[in-house]
Amino acid sequence: MNRRSALKLLSSLPAAAAAQAEVTYDDLRKADPKDWLTYQGNYNAQRHSLLKQVHTGNVADLTAAWIYHVPNANRLQCVPIVVDGVMYISQPNEVYALDGTTGRLIWSYNHEPALQRGPNRGVAVYGNKVYVGTPDAYLVALDARTGSLLWKAKLADAKDGYWAPVAPLAIKDKIIMGIAPGDHGLNGWLDAYSAETGERLWRWHSIPRPGEPGNETWAGDSWKTAGGDTWLTGSYDPELNVVYWGIGNPAPDFDGDVRKGDNLYTECMVALDADTGKLKWYFQYTPHDVHDWDAVEVPVLVDADFKGRKRKLLVQANRNGFYYVLDRVTGEFLHGSPFLKRLNWATGLTKEGRPIRVKEVIPTTQGTRTCPATAGATNWHSPTYSPDTNLFYVAMMEGCGINYKSRDTFRPGGMPYMATGYVEDPEAPWQTYVRALDLTTGAIQWEYKQVGSKRYGAGLISTAGGLVFAGDDQGFFTALDARTGKPLWHFNTGQQITASPVSYSVKGKQYLSVAAGSNIVAFALHGRAAK
Amino acid sequence: MRLAWLVLFPLLAFAQHDPAVVAQGRELYNRSCTQCHGADGTVGDRGPALAARRRYIRSSEEDLFNAIKNGIPGTGMPGSALPPDDVRKIVTYIRSLRATAIDAPIEGNTAKGEAIFNGKGRCRDCHMVNGQGGIIGPDLSNIAAERSIKAIHEGLTVPRPHIPTGFQPVRVVLQSGAELRGILKNEHNFSLQMLDMNGKLHLLSRDEVKEVEYDTQSLMPTNWAQRLTPEELKDLVAFLSRQARPVDGPRQPNARRRR
Ligand code: HEC
Ligand code: HEC
Repeated sequence: MNRRSALKLLSSLPAAAAAQAEVTYDDLRKADPKDWLTYQGNYNAQRHSLLKQVHTGNVADLTAAWIYHVPNANRLQCVPIVVDGVMYISQPNEVYALDGTTGRLIWSYNHEPALQRGPNRGVAVYGNKVYVGTPDAYLVALDARTGSLLWKAKLADAKDGYWAPVAPLAIKDKIIMGIAPGDHGLNGWLDAYSAETGERLWRWHSIPRPGEPGNETWAGDSWKTAGGDTWLTGSYDPELNVVYWGIGNPAPDFDGDVRKGDNLYTECMVALDADTGKLKWYFQYTPHDVHDWDAVEVPVLVDADFKGRKRKLLVQANRNGFYYVLDRVTGEFLHGSPFLKRLNWATGLTKEGRPIRVKEVIPTTQGTRTCPATAGATNWHSPTYSPDTNLFYVAMMEGCGINYKSRDTFRPGGMPYMATGYVEDPEAPWQTYVRALDLTTGAIQWEYKQVGSKRYGAGLISTAGGLVFAGDDQGFFTALDARTGKPLWHFNTGQQITASPVSYSVKGKQYLSVAAGSNIVAFALHGRAAK
Repeated sequence: MRLAWLVLFPLLAFAQHDPAVVAQGRELYNRSCTQCHGADGTVGDRGPALAARRRYIRSSEEDLFNAIKNGIPGTGMPGSALPPDDVRKIVTYIRSLRATAIDAPIEGNTAKGEAIFNGKGRCRDCHMVNGQGGIIGPDLSNIAAERSIKAIHEGLTVPRPHIPTGFQPVRVVLQSGAELRGILKNEHNFSLQMLDMNGKLHLLSRDEVKEVEYDTQSLMPTNWAQRLTPEELKDLVAFLSRQARPVDGPRQPNARRRR
């Protein structure tokens, strides 16, 4: 290694908008398996990686490739985004670009003022930019090569209590962005911003205002402090040009008396035109919910045979304990069945998909046993669908809660407006599982019990190598046989996993990576095993 | 060059703080604190640098005063027996060390300064300000909140003793014979990460690299005292000394930088 001066670099300065491999809309659509370009890796949110260097036959040789410790992090929820081997990760107010093969830092960005509100679920990439939401409710665009701040778009007033944990979704030249928190009586929306300038292009309000259809589903003025936020990234069908997004709970969460009616569009799946934000259809999973069962869980898009007919499906394992199959062109309800063994709040679904409620299972001042618990049968962590097995895999929790209610009054400024809450039912302690459901019937094909784990949070990925990767609250990252659920490999990351894993490939090597506690951990086969 | 500095910017570094108090604080500091915190709060193996660029745990007068007066229990930081008045002077001194350009931006024609930044100086070829510009040098959008006026001025006129991390110019020859030129973002025995002159990031294992040539000179030109008139230089610094991102609430002194 010699040192000298005047390398004559100056003659060849990069133009401001130079030639780094830019992420195009075409790239996002194609979702080359070597990259992980969107929160779910693919617009259809199947989280199925076509990489198969790591497979059932050699996964036993998988080993940790590197660990990146995120300073001051704790229970990271970000899903890494990987472009040409460069990995972008985030925590509230911070974004890091890492070398995906070594975990070495390339740049980091610190957002100021650094309000402390978490989590942050990840970034989006488009062109030469990285996009992230912030605790003070901005959408921020950074230069993907240096982390330079390019612009900030104000989503809402942080003083009102809004913030932005959701990973943005890049569609064409737009950045789709949701908002939180509904539990504070703040009404939600879904926005689209110009990827180039940050200018807002449309906003769809999830709580209809007076004169708009659906406003009549809110008694009196209750629509004004109604919730319905959009805190988890949805999915997209490029052919239909439709964005699918799950909507959060109504407020106050546990007291339905002050907001009689179905409370549209809380706890709905909504289908919006990606260009205009116009509502195409909606399906409400839990009308007039009183258990805080946000319906934000990932909408997974699959084209499959349904009762002998090829259909464009949207499936979701809902926090309320039912697995739903919808027609994503029309929103028609096709099937629903519990994926939870202990479910006591409904006896089933009508043929339109409305829950047949058990009247007594509503929160009371003395407390009511409710299964699933408010924490939900599942939550933000991602499920996966493998076309190879035609199974839908969900990381979920069996367990009940005792739900209480009180009278609450809305206070502005981001104060909780929940009308009390819930505790774990000591007689039905929580237990997490990975369950494999038949795509169209929802029948449980196998389950993997995560012994000793009671807090969910670790999502799933399936791979063409015949594997499903899962995590648990004790820090184990585990490879399961996608057909049988048999564990084939595990690694103790040492910290609770509350994020969903990804896979990517650089220079011919497949990696799996997941945020575990305060670290990002990546795995690959040993040099020889990879051959 | 020293002279130019004194003529153009007398006492600006400490503008906010009474220079007499700062001088007394400095003397007190030098008597009892340097063995752990280094001269002018810059280094020390036994205590943290009190005024080097990083995020500070304590920055309010109150917090600094308490830390010095009472020490920090459970750590190597002893309490001081100095009278409270003297401790206050030390606090003023430490805060003056930490003062950045935006605390007291210098006078000058900022419009002319900006024109030099974009034109004659070609600064924007290498530096981004508010989302516009090059990527080979650090983003200067917040430089005034990160650096003192003195440091900005020296940045333009005095060659660096060493090239800051993230900006080392290199020529890398790969085993394949291909050659890359750019700056190192990071490196280690086993890998290096570089941004080439086309703005592309390269993630290289040392196995792939045949040769790395490190330039001894930063890409940042430091002959602006020769290339610009004193008036132009002053206007340029006046422009830079106002480049700070707006923040709600009190600014964190020397907020940590990305790279
Ligand atoms: C024996 C070594 C020692 C001496 C002498 C000493 N310090 Fe410290 N000081 C430390 C250590 C070690 C710390 C870090 C404590 C910690 O871990 O938080 C510290 C921390 C501090 C801090 C807090 C820094 C921050 O960002 O929170 C201040 C301010 C400080 N010292 C000022 C002084 C001053 C002024 C003097 C002289 C009057 C002095 N110290 C003398 C060792 C020393
Ligand atoms: C050929 C590219 C190039 C040009 C032209 C250039 N710079 Fe720089 N500059 C750099 C690089 C690279 C660094 C970081 C390395 C260093 O500090 O030596 C830097 C560092 C700086 C710093 C120090 C930043 C810090 O964090 O302390 C300042 C201030 C600065 N430049 C201002 C200017 C101004 C003003 C101009 C125009 C008069 C200019 N630069 C022109 C490449 C350039």
